[in-house]
Amino acid sequence: MRALRGANFSVLPGEVVALVGDNGAGKSTLVKTLAGVHRPDSGEILFEGRSVQIGSPLEARALGIETVYQDLALAADLDPAANLFMGREVLRGGLIGKLGFLNNSEMHRRAAEAFTSLGIGLQDSTAPVATMSGGQRQGVAVSRAVTWASKVVFMDEPTAALGVVQTRHVLDLIRSVREQGLSVVLISHNMPEVFEVADRIEVLRLGERVAQLKRQDVTMEDVVGAMTGAIKQEA
Amino acid sequence: MRSTSRRGHWRVLLAVSLTLVLAVAVAACGDDDDDGGGGGGGGGGGKSMTLIAGVKGDEFYITMNCGAQEEAKKLGVSLDFQGPNEFDAAQQTPIVNAVAAKKPDAILVAPTDTKAMYAPIKQAADAGSKIVLVDTTLEDSSLAASQIASDNEGGGRSAAETLSKLIGGQGKVFVVNVKPGISTTDARAEGFEAGAKEAGLDYIGQEYSQDEPAKAASIVKSILAKNPDLKGIFATNLFSAEGAASGLREAGKLGEVKIVGFDAGPKQVEDLKQGLVQALIAQRPAQIGALGVQQAVNALDDKPVKEKIGTGFVSITKDNLDQNQDALYKASC
Amino acid sequence: MSTATTPDEALPDEEVQPRPPWWQRFVTGSSTWIGLILVGLILVFSTLEYDSFVSASNARNVATDAAVLLVLAVGMTFVIVTAGIDLSVGAVLVFSGVISARLMNAVGGNDWGTILIGLAGALGAGLAWGTLNGFLIAKAKIPALIVTLGTLGMALGGALLITGGVDEREVPFKLIDTIGIGRVFDQIPYLVIIAFTVAIVFGVVLAATRFGRNTYAIGSNEEAARRAGINVDRHLVKVYALAGTLSGLAGFMNLARFGTTTIGGHNTDNLQAIAAVVIGGTSLFGGVGTVLGSVFGVFIPAVLQNGFVITGVQPFWQQVAVGAVLIGAVYLDQLRRRSQHQR
Repeated sequence: MRALRGANFSVLPGEVVALVGDNGAGKSTLVKTLAGVHRPDSGEILFEGRSVQIGSPLEARALGIETVYQDLALAADLDPAANLFMGREVLRGGLIGKLGFLNNSEMHRRAAEAFTSLGIGLQDSTAPVATMSGGQRQGVAVSRAVTWASKVVFMDEPTAALGVVQTRHVLDLIRSVREQGLSVVLISHNMPEVFEVADRIEVLRLGERVAQLKRQDVTMEDVVGAMTGAIKQEA
Repeated sequence: MRSTSRRGHWRVLLAVSLTLVLAVAVAACGDDDDDGGGGGGGGGGGKSMTLIAGVKGDEFYITMNCGAQEEAKKLGVSLDFQGPNEFDAAQQTPIVNAVAAKKPDAILVAPTDTKAMYAPIKQAADAGSKIVLVDTTLEDSSLAASQIASDNEGGGRSAAETLSKLIGGQGKVFVVNVKPGISTTDARAEGFEAGAKEAGLDYIGQEYSQDEPAKAASIVKSILAKNPDLKGIFATNLFSAEGAASGLREAGKLGEVKIVGFDAGPKQVEDLKQGLVQALIAQRPAQIGALGVQQAVNALDDKPVKEKIGTGFVSITKDNLDQNQDALYKASC
Repeated sequence: MSTATTPDEALPDEEVQPRPPWWQRFVTGSSTWIGLILVGLILVFSTLEYDSFVSASNARNVATDAAVLLVLAVGMTFVIVTAGIDLSVGAVLVFSGVISARLMNAVGGNDWGTILIGLAGALGAGLAWGTLNGFLIAKAKIPALIVTLGTLGMALGGALLITGGVDEREVPFKLIDTIGIGRVFDQIPYLVIIAFTVAIVFGVVLAATRFGRNTYAIGSNEEAARRAGINVDRHLVKVYALAGTLSGLAGFMNLARFGTTTIGGHNTDNLQAIAAVVIGGTSLFGGVGTVLGSVFGVFIPAVLQNGFVITGVQPFWQQVAVGAVLIGAVYLDQLRRRSQHQR
């Protein structure tokens, strides 16, 4: 089953791009491909002008790309700090560190800093993530991506399961991320949200890009039209 | 909100834990063994003893316990009964160790391995308990006051005689044995082999059933496949005999191939009545148990002790079954 | 716009709470309750039969009887924390013992050199089976239950083939005399020291190293671990290899203790090890558990059996009791999970 057929996508530094499309358009697949989870059958990825291969999540990370997945990809039994540092644990110094001993206090300290700076409050930072609300979990996932990303953050439907107040938090987070100089690629099918934060909008339909729009130049109807195929822009 | 659910969660934990611990306490205190002994032995001058079987659910040892309990009652001794789930040294050891901790006046034990059980039994002996070995024995039996067992070699020979008569004095015969290293069954197999060769039978060998009826059954089926002209089988213990009969039944050779089994448990007696097994060599486990208690009491009272006692056996067939009812093994006392 | 206050709205600018001190984390840990149950059982039996139950020799015996299972349970803890399972541990124990005995007899002699060769053989055999398990589970993607059931059969069958179904009963006497029944300071058996050393070392690995952390991560959410860049396949191979190697060590210890390979006596070791790990608070669904809990989980059935025999309880009650404790432990785990996921 082909999710993508010659899909195109681009994002520039320091901008928020919304990637929209109807269900089955291929948005998640495209993002997972760029995040290194899937491998494309064909095509080219250019990163800062260079052609790159992103064969694994590690390779995406090395380029400075981080992702907040739709399912959050958090380990429910571990605490927020452990999740933040998953795969990137801080080890103690010296010989003990070489044996693999973790520096838990350091990780907790840095995690507390990251959470506070992004406005996420946690009652008990040693409790497993499973005991936290959806919004807090989202916060942890976003913190993780934002803390480690140096270039691009992909966010796949970050507000799909959240309430009004929590959604507000996430949108504020996206803005503060952009202010830090990173790019954000936001997948969403929620038009009002898109129009609140996005600089540009790229539309995917049936696995291909059908439109590249500047948010200030278009209306929601235009975008929906492009999604459903009523309006075609890209050749 | 989360803190209350945590508190409630703790309450459940506490309740369940307490219930668990109390249940164990009740079980331990309130249990009344049907074999007459609670923990701690009788008061006054009564002696305390424990009989440790080779395996728990085996009617041979249950019958031994019945005989021992009767004798114990006569002599004013309180007797406990314990045993492992499987006839195995790794499983019998923790039980011997626990019994040793009680420091009973005497321990009657059927060691599951001639070598491996030496250390734990020695430990019990060093702690002051008199040791009587029943049924099986140890390579180094110097730590025991007395050893009581059937003359297993003689029993094996008797089985060879009986089988020879059943199959008309000639033909292929095979042995289903238990495990190597068990003094009793090894002696039976040796006795049978000698007796069979003397009687002019064609002895084709033996295999080990690991004391599992299912294994014995599959061994018999394989041997039959290789030797369709097999005439007779000798099974050296209860589980092996059970399994051998099942194997023959499944191969459709019941009655054709004659089985002589060792031990007369209820199932084997049934098999005998139904003609699935043609003869049973029964030991006298009740007698072994009673003698064990007697000798232990003698040792404790500084009276003369018989170091080795060999008990006899009875050859039971369908014909003489009625006369030998008291030689049959019991499933409970 | 909603006017109701939710916990989230109340918190946005609050600082993250600092981490509770270590003793508080210990008390609320999952293994603490099981430890209390163990203490409770010990108290009950001590009260009922003080003279017999409470003695150095009895404690020594219980610990020695539990030592081999403890080593198996440590390996099993790692496996179950990854949400896996290993049914082959008893069979690998037996196979390793057989290889070890054969090697030592082939080399001959009654000195430490021979014994070390035997140890190497046992560990190597265990490592081989464990690596095979890990490879089939991680790379070939066959479910752990099936793979380890298969290696159970192969290892046990292999042991029977090599020995012809007859236990190896010739073991260098020095091995039995020193490690098997020897004691340090004439008090603590070597077997107990080995078992507890293994428990401490690997307990620390699981709790405080990256290897342990990755084990929890994979058990909690394997896909998330993959996406976080953890090499899940390689880690799983290592975890099963560890379980196998520890089974090999257990086989060597068993050989030292009994002087024979006891082929027929380890058929339920796998279930006993799993029960011990689960009783100790490790979740079969992965992501949760400690080696300390498994230590308690090994000693609860051991103390139960010892206490029941001493107090004269019918042997069959022991099995009933252990089964009940096991179900209780799993039920508690379910309760805890449900209360966590209420949000």
